[in-house]
Amino acid sequence: MTDRDCALALQRLYEFLDHEVADADADAIREHLDACEPCFDAYGLEEHIRSMVKRCCTAERAPETLRVRVTRVTTTVVVREL
Amino acid sequence: MSTFGSAPVLDRPATRLGDRLGSYLMIIPTADKALAAEGGDVVDPATETDAERTARFERDAMVFLDQLYGAALRMTRNPSDAEDLVQDTYVKAFASFHQFTPGTNLKAWLYRILTNSFINTYRKKQRQPQISGGDQIEDWQLARSEAHASDGLRIAEMEALDRMPDSAVTEAMNALSADFRLAVYLADVEGFSYKEIAEIMGTPIGTVMSRLNRGRNQLRAALSDYAREHGLGSRGASDD
Repeated sequence: MTDRDCALALQRLYEFLDHEVADADADAIREHLDACEPCFDAYGLEEHIRSMVKRCCTAERAPETLRVRVTRVTTTVVVREL
Repeated sequence: MSTFGSAPVLDRPATRLGDRLGSYLMIIPTADKALAAEGGDVVDPATETDAERTARFERDAMVFLDQLYGAALRMTRNPSDAEDLVQDTYVKAFASFHQFTPGTNLKAWLYRILTNSFINTYRKKQRQPQISGGDQIEDWQLARSEAHASDGLRIAEMEALDRMPDSAVTEAMNALSADFRLAVYLADVEGFSYKEIAEIMGTPIGTVMSRLNRGRNQLRAALSDYAREHGLGSRGASDD
């Protein structure tokens, strides 16, 4: 394991967690993470932050007023055929 | 991870009335077969009646209301503007719904309309500086490779993260430029692939990656600052 391995693993950190790394490359990264604690920690922290962002930003529910407005979108434009 | 099957491509001259509102024809192969199968039978938009199409729109598109509102809120940072933006999106989506290819990714299609509406109206209104050109991938690659030695968040600071109020995270998100914020939102919250985000934002994949990396790096720096300023960093700090 070299500094270069760490640099490569960290360089692709986001891509890896985004599931955008090809299988062979992902295997190489996993192998490196098994052997390198600092990189493993960096990945763990990154994943933790991501789950936080997701939790904080998904709490929203559309207000009822908007639900009513959006429902009208289809009923006011279309002339019912029946 | 996401396996894109070959989607049926429907080449059909777009001749209907809704066309004057602009084309939102976008072929995104569905990443989720269950989503495609949700509608049951594959519909031929050329032969369905207006009433059938309206019913299909109500059934398939309305379920994304909460998600679109969440995205609109992140984009506009303002509940009132977010409501207008989402309504605008549904109006345009309904008018162009005959252009949507059944069986492809409806969620991504709606997000693209949402994004275009935001860019065309709200962002102009808000007069936000647009930070997009000159995204150099090399920049973040360099920055990232030095992360080992950085002063950023470390594993020991996970506890600090857990003590952080949700508002600190949403404020840090809101502080990002619109392009970065949207890219991070689409990836981290909605789980879109780079390819889908590129289609939604109308940019090359390299730009998406650059925006994601810069946006995430800025977000992490902001969270790190927050932890330091509020004394959340040290282990065993007294809880209040």
